[in-house]
Amino acid sequence: MSVVSNILPYAVAVWLFGAGLYGIATSRNLIHLVGCLGVCQSATYVLLLGLGYRWGSIAPIFYDHPPGTPAVDPVMQALVLTDIVVGATLTALLLVLTIQVYKRSGSLDPEKLRPMRARQGSDRAEGSDRGHDGKRTVL
Amino acid sequence: MTPRIRVALLALAGVVLLPGAAAVITGLPPFGATIAQYGERINAITPEARHVANMVSAINFDLRGLDTLGEEFMLLAAITGTVVLLRGRRGEGNTERALRRPGRAVIPRSEAVVLVCRIAGPLTALFGLYVVVHATVTPGGGFQGGVILASGTLIIYLGEGYAGWRDAVRSHWLDGLEGGGALLFTLCGLAPMLTGAAFMQNIMPLGTFRDLMSGGLMLVENLGVALAVAGGFTQLFLEFMEETREADELDEPGEESA
Repeated sequence: MSVVSNILPYAVAVWLFGAGLYGIATSRNLIHLVGCLGVCQSATYVLLLGLGYRWGSIAPIFYDHPPGTPAVDPVMQALVLTDIVVGATLTALLLVLTIQVYKRSGSLDPEKLRPMRARQGSDRAEGSDRGHDGKRTVL
Repeated sequence: MTPRIRVALLALAGVVLLPGAAAVITGLPPFGATIAQYGERINAITPEARHVANMVSAINFDLRGLDTLGEEFMLLAAITGTVVLLRGRRGEGNTERALRRPGRAVIPRSEAVVLVCRIAGPLTALFGLYVVVHATVTPGGGFQGGVILASGTLIIYLGEGYAGWRDAVRSHWLDGLEGGGALLFTLCGLAPMLTGAAFMQNIMPLGTFRDLMSGGLMLVENLGVALAVAGGFTQLFLEFMEETREADELDEPGEESA
């Protein structure tokens, strides 16, 4: 096998991770950012499956093929399987946080995120927070 | 920090890390040449030791079952966090009808859509069940099957609309499914200890190789995962749908001014 096919899957993983990271760093929208995180995560799928692959092997399921047939690495496949499920739920969690951010600040731009302050008008910090609120509307 | 500085920092980090990444990549075994010894041994030993054909299920539910337990609770925690964040904002109450935006026309569903969904929904659910129960003999399992089952409920939403969907899908059942699945998995770990065996030791009869009922305790754990994943994902859909409804009252006035 040539050098290219020896390292191509790993290079694809690095490329995907880099592309996702670039998206995260330059993101101006939190939903876009969550999507970029998904791209980064898919790099881990490519890397794991690439590490577990072997030419001429079957899937690690010995139903049609008798046990002992060369098969690819089942550990990597199990890792990717759980990775995908957890990744999906974490995406949901991040999107909920995005909803919360939008409701609080009215913007999806990470640049416009400001440190959390005590809520305006709530009974806990009504008096002490007035000065800050005046400044916040100016900003 | 301006976007330009951020990109510059990222490029700098990339330049610093690239030689390391290149060294690691060239140090890895060539793609497709060999696999790790651990996986090789699992492939060689497990079919005989556990009487299951699907190595991935054997790893998830038996050999590395403890890891899957942790992963199961990660799932539970992520879904609980989602639900808590959404409900904390909105309140516990649910609505039976969907949001109607004033001024936006309500387009009735085509009968073809309803028909297709009524056919496809049960078929999808059936296929999900098939994938779940064939965990130990085919590329199936609780994770994959659970997600397919949850997709089946979404097809009901597509065909029947929000009210019909809420008639079919009860939030409390989903809570029970999700928590019950995780509980079942935990009990599968604890129950063998009552007999003096180790945590999650496969003490049930292993069945015959290539049979649907092979794998012993794996089948129960698989069922727990399927319940948790199906319940959890449907719960996610439901909570996000609920988010589009009209609020009963504005719970935090003044919030929009920020």
